[in-house]
Amino acid sequence: MSTTTSSDARARAGRAGTGGGTGTGGAAGTGDGRPRQRLRRERREAPAPVGWIGAMVWFVIVAVPLYFLITTSLRTSSEYLLSGPMSVPKDLSFASYRLVLESGFGLLLLNTAIVTVATVAIVLALSLPAAYAIVRSRSRFVRRTFSVVLLGLAIPAQATIIPIYLMITQLHMYDTLLAIVLPTAAFAIPLSILVLTASLRDVPGELYEAMNVDGASPARTFWTLALPLSRGGITTVGIYTAMGAWNGFIFPLVLTQSESVRVLTLGLWTFQSQYGVNVPAITAAVTLSLLPLLALYLIGRRQLLSGLTAGFGK
Amino acid sequence: MRTPLFRGRRRALATVATAGALALALTACGSSGPSDTSADGGDRGSSTGDIWVITDASLNPVQEKSAETFATSGDVTFTVSNYANDPYKQKLQTAIGSPNQPDIFYNWGGGNLKQYVDAGQVADLTSAVDGDADFKSKLIPSVLDVGTIDGKIYGLPMQGVQPVMMYGNDDVLKKAGVDGMPATWDDLLADVKALKASGVTPIALAGSQSWTELMWLEYLLDRVGGSDKFAAIAAGDDGAWSDPAVIESLTMIQQLVDAGAFGTNYSAVGYDDQGTQALIAGGKAGLELMGSWEVSALNASFPDFAKSDSLVWGTFPTVDGGKGDPSAVVGNPSNFYSVTDGSKVKDGATQYLLDTLTSDEYVDGLLSIGQVPAITGLEEKVKTGDFAHFNAFTYQIVNDSSSFTQSWDQALDAATAQTMLTNLQKVFLGQMEPQEFADAMAK
Amino acid sequence: MARTTVGTGRPGALWAVPALGFFGLFALLPMAIVVYLSFTQWSGIGSPVFTGTDNWTKLAHDTQLMPSLRLTIGLTIVSWLLQTAICLPLGVWLAHHGRGRAVLAAVFFVPLLMSSAAIAILWGGLLDPNFGLASVVGPLIGVPDGNFIGDPDLVFWVVVAVVAWQFVPFHVLLYQGATRQVPGSLYEAARIDGAGRFRQFTAITVPQLKHTIITSSVLMLVGSMTYFEIILILTGGGPGTATRVLPLHMYIEGFQSFDMGYASVLAVLLLVLGTALSLFVTRATGFHRMDSQKEGL
Repeated sequence: MSTTTSSDARARAGRAGTGGGTGTGGAAGTGDGRPRQRLRRERREAPAPVGWIGAMVWFVIVAVPLYFLITTSLRTSSEYLLSGPMSVPKDLSFASYRLVLESGFGLLLLNTAIVTVATVAIVLALSLPAAYAIVRSRSRFVRRTFSVVLLGLAIPAQATIIPIYLMITQLHMYDTLLAIVLPTAAFAIPLSILVLTASLRDVPGELYEAMNVDGASPARTFWTLALPLSRGGITTVGIYTAMGAWNGFIFPLVLTQSESVRVLTLGLWTFQSQYGVNVPAITAAVTLSLLPLLALYLIGRRQLLSGLTAGFGK
Repeated sequence: MRTPLFRGRRRALATVATAGALALALTACGSSGPSDTSADGGDRGSSTGDIWVITDASLNPVQEKSAETFATSGDVTFTVSNYANDPYKQKLQTAIGSPNQPDIFYNWGGGNLKQYVDAGQVADLTSAVDGDADFKSKLIPSVLDVGTIDGKIYGLPMQGVQPVMMYGNDDVLKKAGVDGMPATWDDLLADVKALKASGVTPIALAGSQSWTELMWLEYLLDRVGGSDKFAAIAAGDDGAWSDPAVIESLTMIQQLVDAGAFGTNYSAVGYDDQGTQALIAGGKAGLELMGSWEVSALNASFPDFAKSDSLVWGTFPTVDGGKGDPSAVVGNPSNFYSVTDGSKVKDGATQYLLDTLTSDEYVDGLLSIGQVPAITGLEEKVKTGDFAHFNAFTYQIVNDSSSFTQSWDQALDAATAQTMLTNLQKVFLGQMEPQEFADAMAK
Repeated sequence: MARTTVGTGRPGALWAVPALGFFGLFALLPMAIVVYLSFTQWSGIGSPVFTGTDNWTKLAHDTQLMPSLRLTIGLTIVSWLLQTAICLPLGVWLAHHGRGRAVLAAVFFVPLLMSSAAIAILWGGLLDPNFGLASVVGPLIGVPDGNFIGDPDLVFWVVVAVVAWQFVPFHVLLYQGATRQVPGSLYEAARIDGAGRFRQFTAITVPQLKHTIITSSVLMLVGSMTYFEIILILTGGGPGTATRVLPLHMYIEGFQSFDMGYASVLAVLLLVLGTALSLFVTRATGFHRMDSQKEGL
């Protein structure tokens, strides 16, 4: 991957006005007089006021709700009603977090974690061999598989919820965590195969050939070559699937109901009516639900980014 | 047992579904309590039973205690399992008639109960209740009516009555020059004007949850046309929705909306997030129409206000020239216990209900958590706790009521209720005229 | 599989069977069942009863169908336009390196970590007309009573905005990653030819991002067409039916009115629309040939 340069656009500062609104750097005029910009392979740091302005607008749109989320969760509920949503909290209070943690948040977390881990395990166990076959097999059936799977990207899960509800009740799995796991995993498979296929394609063909010459079986090639070399793709799929399972709403909503198998997303919804005007408690619950994923993201950031990019072509 | 669609396929499905030890482990740890217990119930013989109720932190212990008490005297040991409100209905919907069904289940009476009765799944308790005159005499008739379908008793009231009434913030009312709660519709219109002039929202309304809007229609139809009008609707009579009284009630609602009675942003206000309570308690609105649970709800969120003299209440205003009895109330008469017809411990379950529901222990238990039981002769007893006056008032209006019409969304079947709530919301939004509402509902 | 000929090392079709089978069972089979269910009456109690075309006849009398359909199509198109207009430039802009941008990128990413439920609840708090941010901001932007989600005309735009808030981060990420893969030599060549930044963006960046634009568009279009979680929690489809999109209409018919048969009719409709839309987009853009093109790389 080459690092693209943009810009010694200074030289054309006069025409830069035409660049309004575009991300690549727009009106570069203000950047005049920065000699280092002449560097050939300069990284893209060109000041781009229009870009910055646009980005700052979006920043405000994203940050204000997040500010509200964090500050509100640290208020007492009476202070929230009195001093309004946007003021700086007077005294930080962790009472809301305590309240949330004491009202069964641990169980929600545990259930969600079980669902997430199981979903990721199933998805990887099924998608990896499939992706491997798609990349290496010459079978026509496998090619078809790939088309079907690509099409699957577009199947709206919502539209199948009623038959899935029927199937799950007929299988006597209604109101179990497994009922959430199975369809969640099924709908994660298309994207997983897509990403893993891309990542396996990056393994040089010569390596496969070398294994082949050594007389390695497909399984051995899979274990010793394909698997280790597609770690990036696996991480991507893992994180992405985990996020989907962690945040899943429709399947838990329709396929479970007992408190004992309630997951986080439904729990949040319940909290909303349980705590009502106690917005601090609700925001505390939302914040808590966010933390595990934030940690996961911070760990796997790079793979997630590059893996997704590869999976979707350029 | 009743699974024609998947019979042949089930094995294949199951094989794939349980591929992997992980999946198996999940089934084991994930399956829910209740189906397990009822499955076990069969093994343990007929001496155990299940009671399914709604999760309610204060009520559940009372229910559990009564089951324990019964276990010492009766021959059945009941286990009480609780579920959150919305999921419960779905749970019940799928469980009733299946081998996993409970023996006693909590329900809302009326149309909610009727669908199970129509499906032949509920035990007829009439002869048992008639055979226990002392028990029967303790039930408030207007409440028992809601558990009675086609003249037969299928549900027995098991918790406090929750009539709908008007609440007010007296400070706000006084500031606007309004003296006390409105007694008549004309008073109400005058109060709205005065409150609006004083710069507050006259009536707090949680319009994003249209069951709060429904309360207005429920009362108005009762006042304008009498309780027969809704009885006809609930019975599915032709033209019941198009009755002139329905149209008139809806027109009165429009009149209120147009007068700015609910302010302008009521459609964005929720009840579940206590939006209206905050308005009342915070002095931003003068009046509210809500169920009797409102006082304890206010007490939970705004205890200072709830316990102060600022909180006032009264019955729904009368309507001049209306055919309805001014003593009639609407709301949630109670919730009910019913016995499933297929229960293995049907007699034991019935006995439990007869022994428990009017017993001192159970009634005192309800009173101790601030509920007003649907039991006669409690005039003095209900005057307990922080809200003795309010409880006495609640008890009195129910005891004196000529009829207690159940909330329509619970009295009607789910699909009709859903359509009605949506259409009513449109009337409040001015998107639908009363006649259009009637036409849409008559379909 | 033969062991000694050339190509021994190649896995057979068997490797793909478990994934396909599982996917088929829980994603494709339901599609067949939903068609069956659309010819039955089923309340969720007991078993479906075959009723012929009753549900399909009902479709013609459903006064909510056309409004829901219009709403869904409107939401899909507006969301696609808005989100693309935000994501493409923002993603390209973020692809440039620099500390400031990295910090912004990290913040932009946060909504992606939040569930629809969390987002809807957060925005529910923000949009409370009396006590939320809406009461503060509303008067500044011409909504004096803060009535954003209670106004049948405004609420559509609120939903569009909240859905964008949720999905923009993901698509920005796609564009950001893809932009970084555009060969720098192309830009150098363009500069030598005297192309300005805007010209570079239109002549190099956008064409080079074609696949990403298509991918992102498919995901946005199909995603918004079937989207309902935030709407369910935030507005419940209201006020009135102002935000009752087709998937929500289906959910309400199925799981609140317990008319699963009719809800299945709506589900079939959704499936047809969703699949047709994605087929159309992929065919029209050659996306389905993506795999072969990638092999050429």
